[in-house]
Amino acid sequence: MGLLLAETPALPLHEAGKYVAGAYIVLLAMVLVYVAIMSVRLGRIERDLGELLELSDPDTGRSGEVGQDR
Amino acid sequence: MYGKGLRALSISTVVAMASSLALVFFYAPLEAEQGFLQKIFYVHVPLAIVSLCGFVIGGLLAVQHLRTRDSRWDMRSYVVIHMSLIFGLATLMTGSIWAKGSWGHWWVWNEPTLVSFLIVFLLYATYQPLRFAIEDPERQSRYASVFAVTAGAFVPLNFIAVRASTAYLHPRVLGSTSNLPGSMALTFLVSLVAIALLFATLCKYELTAKHTRAQVRALRRRLSGESASAPLGGRSAAPSAQPIAAIGARTAGRPVS
Repeated sequence: MGLLLAETPALPLHEAGKYVAGAYIVLLAMVLVYVAIMSVRLGRIERDLGELLELSDPDTGRSGEVGQDR
Repeated sequence: MYGKGLRALSISTVVAMASSLALVFFYAPLEAEQGFLQKIFYVHVPLAIVSLCGFVIGGLLAVQHLRTRDSRWDMRSYVVIHMSLIFGLATLMTGSIWAKGSWGHWWVWNEPTLVSFLIVFLLYATYQPLRFAIEDPERQSRYASVFAVTAGAFVPLNFIAVRASTAYLHPRVLGSTSNLPGSMALTFLVSLVAIALLFATLCKYELTAKHTRAQVRALRRRLSGESASAPLGGRSAAPSAQPIAAIGARTAGRPVS
């Protein structure tokens, strides 16, 4: 990475730099927000599956979490 | 079902995005007129193209839903339109940032391309409220599909009309990549592929999540003794994803035409 940066001309981060950074941060923020939403959903599904496991077999449900037997 | 190939798609997206960023900042030359500000072009234009294509694809999927009455097509149409709306919002935001840097204004009302994109965006912003306003899931999906088909047909018409009438104030990209130097054209195409892959990956994630949730709900109902195809309580704008068992039962009961 260091070599790559040494080979390339310095980025002209003057007046336009903040606008370019802003535009790419918008894209990054969009992806990060989406990942955060997906992680919340995944947590909910995991919780639901734990409850279902408990419903189907109360003994297994109490003794361990989903995926613990892997 | 929807999760098949998700890992390969995600890896391709990450590779394409990394390649695109490397090309934008370390390979593509600075544009003579706009200088460094032109780098926004490599994210703004692909976002706009993918967003508009997504709206059209949403319409095509809705046609398929109206033809087959299979709720899986409605779900796909809903997810694609939903994602296009998010990409559309990102297009408007990156476009505004570019306009501020280039023209000194966040928004210019007499620029046809900007205003036409805003009209398309606002049109699709009514899609979710429309769905939410209809309680009956069958009617909701049918009306939403009719909306998606009509609005999807409006998108290319609007695009052509603006291009035919514009005074060429807005920088032109589509159809003029042959005028770009090779390095810029390559960077733009890689960026376009990267954004398209990001769109496809996010859609696939969304579909997988909705499908998994539907299956968990169906399993919960089955374990608690309710019917797996019983309607859900509460109103929702999102179509109710059918668990595999319920889909199988539905397809089996359908007369062969």
